[in-house]
Amino acid sequence: MALDLSMPILVVDDYQTMVRIIRNLLKQLGFEDVDDASDGTTALAKLKTKKYGLVISDWNMEPMTGYELLRHVRADEALRTTPFIMVTAESKTENVIAAKKAGVNNYIVKPFNAATLKTKIEAVCGA
Amino acid sequence: MPAIAAKTNATRPRRTADRDPVSDVRLITRELAEVAEYIAHVKREIGELRANELYRERIPTAHDELGSVVNATASATHAIMAAAEEILCSQEDTFETYKEQVESRVLAIFEACSFQDITGQRISRVVEALGQLEKRLSRFASAVNARDSEKGPVDPEDALRQARKEILLLNGPQDEDEAIAQDDIDALFG
Repeated sequence: MALDLSMPILVVDDYQTMVRIIRNLLKQLGFEDVDDASDGTTALAKLKTKKYGLVISDWNMEPMTGYELLRHVRADEALRTTPFIMVTAESKTENVIAAKKAGVNNYIVKPFNAATLKTKIEAVCGA
Repeated sequence: MPAIAAKTNATRPRRTADRDPVSDVRLITRELAEVAEYIAHVKREIGELRANELYRERIPTAHDELGSVVNATASATHAIMAAAEEILCSQEDTFETYKEQVESRVLAIFEACSFQDITGQRISRVVEALGQLEKRLSRFASAVNARDSEKGPVDPEDALRQARKEILLLNGPQDEDEAIAQDDIDALFG
């Protein structure tokens, strides 16, 4: 199954530089419909107003972290199947295990490259 | 104050009949002299900390230096990304104009990278300030035989921050040898 390049993607990160990097990488991969949010609370509000095909989120944000966002998404009947990739500098095994238990689809540690992002998106979105 | 603590038994009240008022006075005087000597020693060690210099000069300077590093790296990153985006989105029609644009943007990237030299110097000053702080605190702690309170953080805001970090697993980036590798993460996700 080919990647649906028209699917809307939500990038959640409090560092605008990282948002810009991910946006550019996604653009290079062919994705055009990319929105962003600077924390979990804003992201959750956006997720409730638009159907996203993928969420790419950082972990460490204020006031709502990416981990909390993930748990909210998985607890919400309307959002629970939304693919969710964590892209974070949190590189402790306990973080990866906690995210997996909470229902994350994939986990990328920063710094990462375009190839890793592409591979994970393909794995999660069923290419 | 181990010397004073060790005297606890010696200062226990004796029976009235055994008491020698002169030697009692001598004992109390000697102990008060020891306390005074210890206080003077602690005062000297506090002076050696040069706490005023630390909080008036070194720590604010380090704070400012780090702020400048954050700003410089953000500004350089912005300049580098803007140049790269211009190249990616180039609409130039001919090879010559495209080449000219790429060369101009690459030059901008080189210029932006000059931040590294200055931030390197700023970070060196912060490292030096932290080194001084560590040295003085460590000297003071061993001079007064300090032990950490078991009550936890004194600052309630810090206590809340620590609790939040623990609950939400906000561990931050790990050292290279402690961080889990992407391959190991991939293995966990099968």
